[in-house]
Amino acid sequence: MFALPGGFPPGLEYEPEDADVESEEQFRDRLTNTWRQMMFVSGETAEPSVETTTLIEEIVRQQVVEILARSTALATRRGVRSISTDDLIFLIRHDKAKVSRLKTFLSWKDVRKNVKDSDDKGGADAADFAAADDPIAGGVVAGPQDVASKPKNKRARVGLAWDVNSFYSVQVPEREDEEDEEEEEQNYATLQRLAAADERTKHMTREEYVFWSECRQASFTYRKSKRFREWAGFGIVTESKPNDDIVDILGFLTFEIVQTLTEEALKVKEREDREKNRRGGADNGEDSKKRKRETGLFDPPEEGRTPVEPKHIREAYRKLQATPNKNIAMLLHNGRVPARMPLRLI
Amino acid sequence: MSLGHHHAWLPPGHLRPPDDLHDARSANGYSRSFSGARTPQLRASADADGLHSGTLISDADLAPDDDPRIAMFRDLYKRSEAQINDLFANQKSAEEAARSAVADAEETQTKSQRADESAPPPAPAKKPARKLDDDDYDDYDDDDDDDDEAPSPPKPKSLGTSHDPSGLPSPSRPSSGSVSVVIEARKETKKETLEDIRKKLEQDKKATEEAAKRSFHTLFYTLENDRDAMLDQQRLEESERQVEAEMSGQANAGNNPNPNSNGYGSLSSANLGASSLTLKNLIARIDMKRTMVQASDAELRSLMSEVRKNRSKWASEDKIGQEELYEAAEKVLSELKAMTEHSTAFLTRVNKRDAPDYYTIIKHPMDLGTMTKKLKALQYKSKQEFVDDINLIWSNCFKYNTNPEHFLRKHALYMKKETEKLVPLIPEIVIRDRAEVEAEERRLQLAEMDGADESDDEPIMSSRGRKAPGKSSKKGAAPVRNTPSGSEPPAGQASQPPAPVRSDSDTAMEGTQNGFPTPPPGGTQTPSDPAGVGVGVQGSQGDAMEIDGLIPSNNNILTALPASGVESEDPEYKVWKQVTKKDRAVIAAERHRLFKGDKLNSEEPALLRTKAGMRRWLRNQMQINAEGDKARESTAQGMDPGAAGETLAEGIEVDEDRVIPDYYDVMSGVPDLPPYLSWKEDSDGNIVDASEEFLRVLPSGSFTQPDSKLSRKMDANMRQMQETRKVCSKIGIVKQMQLQSQMYQNQFQKYQPEPFVEHDVPAHVMNDGGPVISPWVCKAALQRSVAKIFYHTGFEEYQPSALDAVTDIASDFFQKIGETLKSYMETPKLPATETPEPNTAPQWKRAYTEPEMVLHTLSSVGVDVESLESYIKDDVERLGTKLSTAHDRLRSLLSELLRPALADGGEDGSSAFQDGSEQFIGGDFAEDIDEDFFGFKELGLDREFGLATLSVPLHLLQNRMYNAAQAQNTSAAQAVTLFPPPPAYPRITSETLPSQIGLVQGFLGAKLETSNSESLVEDLELPPKQRPTAARPRLPASGKIQPPAAASGLTTSPQKRPLPPSAAGQQPASKLGMSEPSKKKVKKNSGASIGASDSVVEGEEVLPGVDGTKASATTAVKPNTADEPSVDATPDLSGKGDMDTGPDGVGAESVDNAAPLTNGTVAGDAS
Repeated sequence: MFALPGGFPPGLEYEPEDADVESEEQFRDRLTNTWRQMMFVSGETAEPSVETTTLIEEIVRQQVVEILARSTALATRRGVRSISTDDLIFLIRHDKAKVSRLKTFLSWKDVRKNVKDSDDKGGADAADFAAADDPIAGGVVAGPQDVASKPKNKRARVGLAWDVNSFYSVQVPEREDEEDEEEEEQNYATLQRLAAADERTKHMTREEYVFWSECRQASFTYRKSKRFREWAGFGIVTESKPNDDIVDILGFLTFEIVQTLTEEALKVKEREDREKNRRGGADNGEDSKKRKRETGLFDPPEEGRTPVEPKHIREAYRKLQATPNKNIAMLLHNGRVPARMPLRLI
Repeated sequence: MSLGHHHAWLPPGHLRPPDDLHDARSANGYSRSFSGARTPQLRASADADGLHSGTLISDADLAPDDDPRIAMFRDLYKRSEAQINDLFANQKSAEEAARSAVADAEETQTKSQRADESAPPPAPAKKPARKLDDDDYDDYDDDDDDDDEAPSPPKPKSLGTSHDPSGLPSPSRPSSGSVSVVIEARKETKKETLEDIRKKLEQDKKATEEAAKRSFHTLFYTLENDRDAMLDQQRLEESERQVEAEMSGQANAGNNPNPNSNGYGSLSSANLGASSLTLKNLIARIDMKRTMVQASDAELRSLMSEVRKNRSKWASEDKIGQEELYEAAEKVLSELKAMTEHSTAFLTRVNKRDAPDYYTIIKHPMDLGTMTKKLKALQYKSKQEFVDDINLIWSNCFKYNTNPEHFLRKHALYMKKETEKLVPLIPEIVIRDRAEVEAEERRLQLAEMDGADESDDEPIMSSRGRKAPGKSSKKGAAPVRNTPSGSEPPAGQASQPPAPVRSDSDTAMEGTQNGFPTPPPGGTQTPSDPAGVGVGVQGSQGDAMEIDGLIPSNNNILTALPASGVESEDPEYKVWKQVTKKDRAVIAAERHRLFKGDKLNSEEPALLRTKAGMRRWLRNQMQINAEGDKARESTAQGMDPGAAGETLAEGIEVDEDRVIPDYYDVMSGVPDLPPYLSWKEDSDGNIVDASEEFLRVLPSGSFTQPDSKLSRKMDANMRQMQETRKVCSKIGIVKQMQLQSQMYQNQFQKYQPEPFVEHDVPAHVMNDGGPVISPWVCKAALQRSVAKIFYHTGFEEYQPSALDAVTDIASDFFQKIGETLKSYMETPKLPATETPEPNTAPQWKRAYTEPEMVLHTLSSVGVDVESLESYIKDDVERLGTKLSTAHDRLRSLLSELLRPALADGGEDGSSAFQDGSEQFIGGDFAEDIDEDFFGFKELGLDREFGLATLSVPLHLLQNRMYNAAQAQNTSAAQAVTLFPPPPAYPRITSETLPSQIGLVQGFLGAKLETSNSESLVEDLELPPKQRPTAARPRLPASGKIQPPAAASGLTTSPQKRPLPPSAAGQQPASKLGMSEPSKKKVKKNSGASIGASDSVVEGEEVLPGVDGTKASATTAVKPNTADEPSVDATPDLSGKGDMDTGPDGVGAESVDNAAPLTNGTVAGDAS
């Protein structure tokens, strides 16, 4: 599940610039912690080593810088200096589920802002509403106040430049009653993730769940985005004063990247373990027996598991970077593929 | 016996113009042998012969002066020639030959009686002849060109001068003799054996050649040996050149004869034989008149030898037998040299550098080159010397190379074998001096003169006897060469044309000569066979028959010979190498010249294909095909004549028959004609045009999108987009109108999209199967498809460059798909069953099934079925639904814009008049006071139409938008007018008045009067505002249509509106003068007076202000209720003048529509 920035801590703490003072060390600590949290949410149960998190950080940073560079190029091509959200979304347009999640995220962000703007005093209420665990699952929860409920109902739909609505010279009017079929379908993947998360949290104790919730809110950008901007290379790769949305989207994307990477790495690790089990049966009967029992019904799933190692991450990254056949076919010239393929965005 | 081979390479110094060659051939060969009848023809045809004939004439002129006897001799000669001519002109069947021989014999007998007297006389004639001879000899020696001419003059001379003491006994055979019959007989048999051997060798060679040729079709020989062949050949040539150079200091005589003709052993001997055929008669004649000739035998003989045309270079006056011996020896020598495979090592002297100790071991070195030199230097005196020298070479080799494994020994062995085969060809002759021989002759002659009469000619025969062996030996070679000419009477003519070409390429000539003789083995040749002449006509025939009969068997035996000679190699390959060596060498050399230094040599003459080459190629193809059909025997036989006929008919350039497979002569290949291009004729001789069957019309739809669900869906989406865009443009107009107070027609472009139609290519006729390969059309089609997809994804328009770029990418991608698919399709087939039966042909199947191929291809280009499916689902189908919802929304938006009343018309009345006067116009406000302003409620319209308010629907109001829409509609409507409007009626003037009907004439006349005789203007011609018909019939507020009785009268008008001031007390007369339109009123009024029939017209012309009673009256008449609601409402609006404009406008419309009717009635009234 994606992090809902600004969602969890009550709105009382929502103070824009004051909190964004953070030393280098603090940032680093936070960063490492955040990686771990993100990985935890993505399915890694054990405590990953610093090497792993550093590797992940490097990968993510590379990706983020690449994203920024490309979207800047896109913006330049449009004749604009600053990046817009469209540029960012355009980069991930092929992953429809992700786009859909991003749109949802943005629309809720919008809602939150509206709530904040329209309701100065009722911060707590707004926070309550915003804290609703999932905008889709719990989206129908009406706000306590009339004023608050209205913007929520009319939550802005994020239009994309390549949608059908933009085909025409006239803005196609919205109609609330029609739920977008496409959106529903695109939410399918999101729902899957939620279901998985639900499964995981089912047997959690209260403390564990609190920890889990905290982890889910891990974000680089929430409230303390200054360091993150530096980290991501704002001012170097692109202009230094980005839109607030951009930073939030990047925060969202970093989480997505970490999640994808972790999931892939877990798969790699699982396969490796399975392989090891099969081969290890000969050398160490006890161990293999033990491992076999690991999948047993009553085994606590989080015990006895080794954390993901850098090699798994590396392998996962390699897999994710593999050039798909189509690109090869398209770029093949005289039987040669260009030596350097562009970085693939995860 | 490769007789024809070695002369192919002309020694460099030896350049003979083709004419000579030709002439030499024609003169020495056939013309002579056929004597008189043929000679004239030849003379006419060939230059040299022409010359020859010229000299003949001059000689003839000369002769009578010298001696009357010469004239007689000439006369005799002519007669005898005519006889000979007769003899040979008759197809030379055996019987005829025999008969003529008998005749000849009789003649000779009669002539022989006179023989004695004729001996002395020739003396006077001798001198000039001699002189001429000398000159000619000089020429002969000096120049090859004179070779032919030189001997020819002496012939008549010698005819004239020489007498005929000899030749009586057997005129046909002056050459056979030796001194005695015994010797002659011996010689004869020997000659025959020689002949035999030659023939055998020849046949053998031919057989191997045939075999090799046959193998051309079955085997492909690589070209790797060509270079060796060429080099060998070059070496041979080089050595010959060397010898030539060394000999150049010697007499030209050694140089001049062309080795071509000499090289053809058989050919040259044929020449001689042929000439001797002529000569034999001459000799017979001379012998007959020997007494009359006053010349010594020696003189005569020298004359005779000069007469003989084309004597070989070896011919010598003083050496008897030299010519024959050397002829044969040279042949053998060159034969040996030509076996380059083995002879290379023996061609030149052993170099001391190569073998330092050679000369210590070998005391008497010998090589073929040296032998050639010796030969040319005339150093051999006898056959034995020559043979010894040859054997010396081999023995030297064996001696020096003692190692039995040495490769040279093998070569030497081979060569030795060959030598043994060839040596018998050389006649056993010891060259003797002429003087010596003559002395002997004289002695003998004397002895025989004394002797008995039984063989009268013997002495003379014997006097020529010295020469005879040579001749006979030559003649031995002759038959083969000669037979063709004899056997094919027409061929004599036909075979002449090839001559010039022969000079070009000797191989060609050789080919012909080898080729032609083969077919006729049998009896036809016998009469002309000089071999037969040797023994007597009959006997010779028998011999020839025998020989011919032998040939086949020999043939069979000998074919094996060369093959058996080579054990080391594959025999077939060996044969191939041998047989084709020469030609391969030639071709390789040509190639070598052409590509000098690995570059194309531009100096070389261009390669041209020749008719003959192509013909040969075709023939070979046919042969191959025939062989393929297993019907080789029959077809090949049947084919050859056909081919020959073809050649003859076409005036034969060459029939160069190279013994080389077709693939050596790439240039001559003729591509197959597709069957529909071949020239076919039906039974009537009309050409069957087969091409039409192969033409086909390109099926339509090749360049359009095939109809499918997907394409239909995409088309539907695109149409939907267009529709939606139309709605968008309307919304745009509405919004624009809301913003602007004033608007103009040109401000709004109409969005009138045209439907997408894919045009196919125009009808196209092709003459081949398969798709159209037309890059531009294909690209355009792809471009269109790409553009369609663009549009489908939402781009309304795009730059051509973008389209181009995407098209290129797409084509590139598709090309890769195609290539991949192709490579999958072309994967080698797999055996269908795992263990195929060894005997049955294995079943093969494709490595992949078709779906597999497609799937493999897709996955290798990174596309899978899922992605394609999701594209169709998401980007086509879902897009369709999205588009339709968008369309619906925009439609509803538009309708909301157009009819705001429906949405939130009077919901809260507080803002009723806030936003301008629309509500006021629409009458919304009336609702507040609950008044049914327009009477909607009363009419029940609100219920009927579900009106939310009682206001006038916006779209019904006469407002700007309505106008705009109207303008658009009318313009559209005008465009589709089906019928042109009828021509306007002419205006009524005083002139046209009489043409009107009588009833109205008065009325119109009155009107004209009032308008001062100006033409009357119809209402329709007036601008709408000025028309008097702006009013419409009105209903009273009660809504009841009043009866036409007009009972209510003027004052009962329900009109609330105050009458216009002028209208109150108006009189018709005053109205008349009011204005231009007022004349209508006059018209109307008078119309009313005329009667009810005009009421329609009148009704429409009622002026709002004055219509009072008439309005009610006319409305009753006119049952037009279409716009009743509004019309009805009008009276209620009394007091609000501007409200009139709306309904009035509508009324005007209806009047407009009725206009023609009005006019019609008027016209009808008038008439």
